[in-house]
Amino acid sequence: MKHESVEINAGLLIVLTLVVISIGGLVEIVPLFHIKDTVEEVKGVRPYTPLELRGRDLYIREGCYACHSQMIRPFRDEYLRYGHYSLAAESKYDHPFQWGSKRTGPDIARLGEKYSDQWQTQHLVKPQALVPESIMPPYPWLLKNELMYTDIENRMKALKATGVPYSLTAEEYQANVTNFGQPMADKLHIPNGKATLEAEAKGRNWDGDKERITEMDAMVAYLQMLGTLVDFKKYDQGYFASFR
Amino acid sequence: MSDLWMWLGNLTNSKVTALLIFFTSFVVIVLYVYSGKKRKVRLESYKDIPFVDDHDKIPGSSAGSNKGDN
Amino acid sequence: MTMSTTAGTVAGAQANPVTGKAAAVEQYNYDIVKKFAIMSLVWGVLGMFAGVWIASELAWPFLNFDVAEITFGRLRPVHTTLVIFGFGGSALFATSYYIVQRTCQARLWGGRWLAEFTFWGWQVGVGAGVLLYMMGFTQGREYAEFVWPLDIAITVVWVAYFLVFTMTLVKRSQPHIYVANWFFMAFILATALLHIFNNLAVPVSFTSLESYSLFSGVQDAMTQWWYGHNAVGFFLTAAFLGMMYYFVPKQAGRPIYSYRLSIVHFWALSFLYMWVGTHHLHWTAIPDWTSTLAATFSILLLLPSWGGMINGVMTLSGAWDKLRTDPIILFMITSLSFYGMSTFEGPLMSLKSVNALSHYTDWTVGHVHSGALGWVAMITFGSFYHLIPRLWGVAKGMHSTKLIYVHFWLATIGIVLYISSLWVAGIGQGLMLRAFDEYGNLGYTFIETVTFMHLPYVVRAIGGMFFLAGIILMVYNVYMTIAGAKRSVEVDVTARSAAVAR
Repeated sequence: MKHESVEINAGLLIVLTLVVISIGGLVEIVPLFHIKDTVEEVKGVRPYTPLELRGRDLYIREGCYACHSQMIRPFRDEYLRYGHYSLAAESKYDHPFQWGSKRTGPDIARLGEKYSDQWQTQHLVKPQALVPESIMPPYPWLLKNELMYTDIENRMKALKATGVPYSLTAEEYQANVTNFGQPMADKLHIPNGKATLEAEAKGRNWDGDKERITEMDAMVAYLQMLGTLVDFKKYDQGYFASFR
Repeated sequence: MSDLWMWLGNLTNSKVTALLIFFTSFVVIVLYVYSGKKRKVRLESYKDIPFVDDHDKIPGSSAGSNKGDN
Repeated sequence: MTMSTTAGTVAGAQANPVTGKAAAVEQYNYDIVKKFAIMSLVWGVLGMFAGVWIASELAWPFLNFDVAEITFGRLRPVHTTLVIFGFGGSALFATSYYIVQRTCQARLWGGRWLAEFTFWGWQVGVGAGVLLYMMGFTQGREYAEFVWPLDIAITVVWVAYFLVFTMTLVKRSQPHIYVANWFFMAFILATALLHIFNNLAVPVSFTSLESYSLFSGVQDAMTQWWYGHNAVGFFLTAAFLGMMYYFVPKQAGRPIYSYRLSIVHFWALSFLYMWVGTHHLHWTAIPDWTSTLAATFSILLLLPSWGGMINGVMTLSGAWDKLRTDPIILFMITSLSFYGMSTFEGPLMSLKSVNALSHYTDWTVGHVHSGALGWVAMITFGSFYHLIPRLWGVAKGMHSTKLIYVHFWLATIGIVLYISSLWVAGIGQGLMLRAFDEYGNLGYTFIETVTFMHLPYVVRAIGGMFFLAGIILMVYNVYMTIAGAKRSVEVDVTARSAAVAR
C-alpha cells in the first residue's frame, strides 16, 4: 500500500488512524479483565450496604474525590500515615473507582473507625471547628437534608447489572449467605433495600439524631466503613506482593 | 491456523507482536517519507496548501506580518 | 502558484462590501466559525473565572460560603468542563471548520443545518452539564463528569461533527489532504472512542440522571485514565497541533518548516499517546508491568512532541524579526515553547521514582496548567487574533495591537506565577510528607503541609487572575474589532446608496 493513497484517501486515513490509536489502549486495558491475575483473593471484601451505598453516592455528588484519594501506595511514610497499602480487591465493588488523583486533603482509604461518629459529623458540618488550619469546605446541609432513598432498590439493581452480587432470587441470596454470612446477606438482598436502610440509619447514632434519616447518616456510615473490610493480620506481606 | 490464533490469544505474545508490527510500520513510514528526491519535492510542495486560496484582502492583522502570503 | 486560478475565481465570492454578507452563495461557511469562536471566548471567560474562584477557595476557604452549589468539589468539574470542552472544544470546532474549508477549498458539507446542529448541541451540552454538576449530578469521573443522558447527546453531536468534517474532506478540490486535517481527524476519532468506552454505565432508572459505571476498581481506573490521558493527548494536543500547523504558517507568512517531519510527527504521536495513560496510576493497585510499559512509552513520546515543536518554531527561521513586530507570532512561539516545556516535564513525571513524589500533589496541577494555559490557551489566542479579522472582513486587523501585547504579557506573567508557585507547593508538600525525624517517625503531619501551601496557593490564585484579566482584555478587543467591522459596513452602505441616489 502506498502512503500516497493514505494522503489522498480520507477513508483510508480514518481506518489507519483508528487502528493506530486503538492498539495501545487494547494492550494496556484488556489484560486487566483477566481478573484472576489482577485482583488478589482476600476475605472480607463485600458490596456496600444500602446506607453505605447512599453515602457513597453523596461522596460522589459533592466531588470529594477531587481532594481526597482512596489509594494508599506502598511507601513507608504512607504506611505510617494511612496504614497498609490499598489492594485491588478492596475497590472491586467500586462503580466508579474513587482512587482520586490529588491529595489536597489526606488519603481516606482507611478512614473507617479512626474517629468517632460524632467527630465525623462535627467535622463535616464545620471542619475548622476541629482542625483550625483546615481548608476543607463545610457541609452543613448534609445534616439538614433528609436522605432520599426511595430509589435504593433501583440503585442496587443497577449495580447488580454491572456485576455486584446483590441478590434478587433465593439462589443468589443463598450464595451471599455462604460468601458473606447471613446478617450481611440480608442487607444485600434487594427486596429488603428500604427496610435495611432504615434499620441501619436508626440502629446507630450516626449523626446524633436517631429519628430523622439525614444525608449525614449515610455519609458517616460510608466513611466509617472505608478500609475496614480486610483484616490484614490474617495475611503475611509476601501474599499481597505476589499480585503486584 | 488455529495454533496461530491460540498463540496470539496469549497476551504476552500478542503484546510483543503488536509492538513489532507497529514499530516496523513506523520505520517503514519514516523510510518512505525520507527517501527519494521526487518524493521529497512532492511532499514538501504540500506545505503551500494553506496559501493556495489566499483571496482574503486582509493584510497581516498588524505590522504587515502576512507579507509572505501569495 | 498553480492553484491561483482557483483562488482567483472564488475571490469574487468573498465578502461583498455593500451588504457585508457574501454574495448569493458564499464559498465558505464562515457563519458557523464565527459562532463557535465567540462561544469559545464566552466559555473561556466563565471557565477561567471558575478556575480563579476555586483556586481562591483553596487559599481562602471562607469563599465556599457554606453554599453547596459553589463548594470546591462541585465547582472544580465546572471549571475543567468549561475550559476544556467549552473554551477548548468550541475553539477546535471553529478552527477545524475554518481550516478544513480553506485547505480543501470546499464549503462545509451537510448544508447549514448540520453544522448548526453541532453548534447548538455542543453549547447546550456544555451549559446543561455544568449546571447539573452544581446541582450535584455527576458521574464522578474526572473530565467525564457529564451525566449519562448528556453523554448520549454528545455522542450524537460528535457523529454529526465527524460527518461534516469527513465529507468536507471527501469533496475537496485539492488532491492532497493537508496535514492539519490529519490531526483534526485523529482528534475526532480518538475522542469518539474514548468518550464511548469511558462512559459505559448502567443508569439507576430511565428517569434518573444518575448511573453506575460498568467497570469497577482496577479496570475502571485503567479505563478512566486511558480516557483522561488521551483527552490530553488527542483533545488538548493533537487537535491544537492541527491548529498550529495551519495558523503558524499563515501568520508567519511562510510555509511549515518541514512537511515530511509533520507526517512522521503525526504517526508517531497517534501511535504513542494511547499507551501512556497508566502513568497516572503508578504505585497504585495495578499490575507493575502496565506501569513500566506506560513509563517507557511516556519517555518515547518526548520525541514526536519535540519534533512537532521544532517544526513549528523553525517555521520562523529566517524571519525571527517578526517576534519583535508581531504580538500574534509572539503568542504562537510562546505557546510552542510551553508545549516543549510541558512535554519534557510530563515524561519526567512519568518516571516512577519522580512520580512517587509528584503524584497526588500540586506539581501535577501545575504541569497540567503549563500545558493548558501555556500551550492550549496561548495557541488559541494567537490563532483567534489571526482569525477574527478575517472572519469579519476587517482589513486593518484587530482593533488594537497594543492590547494584544498587554494580553500577551498578562498571560505570560500569569502562567509563570501559576506554575512556579505550584512547583513550590507540590515539591514542597511531597518532600514534607516523606520526611522522617531522627527516630524514624513522620516529620510532619498532613495539616502542617496544608499550612505550608497557603502562600503558594495565594500566588497561584493571583497568577490565575492575571490570566483571566488577559482573556477579558481579548474579549474587549474582539468586540471592538467586530463592532468596527459592522460600522464600516454601514458607512459603506450609506455612501453607496447616497451615490445611487445621486
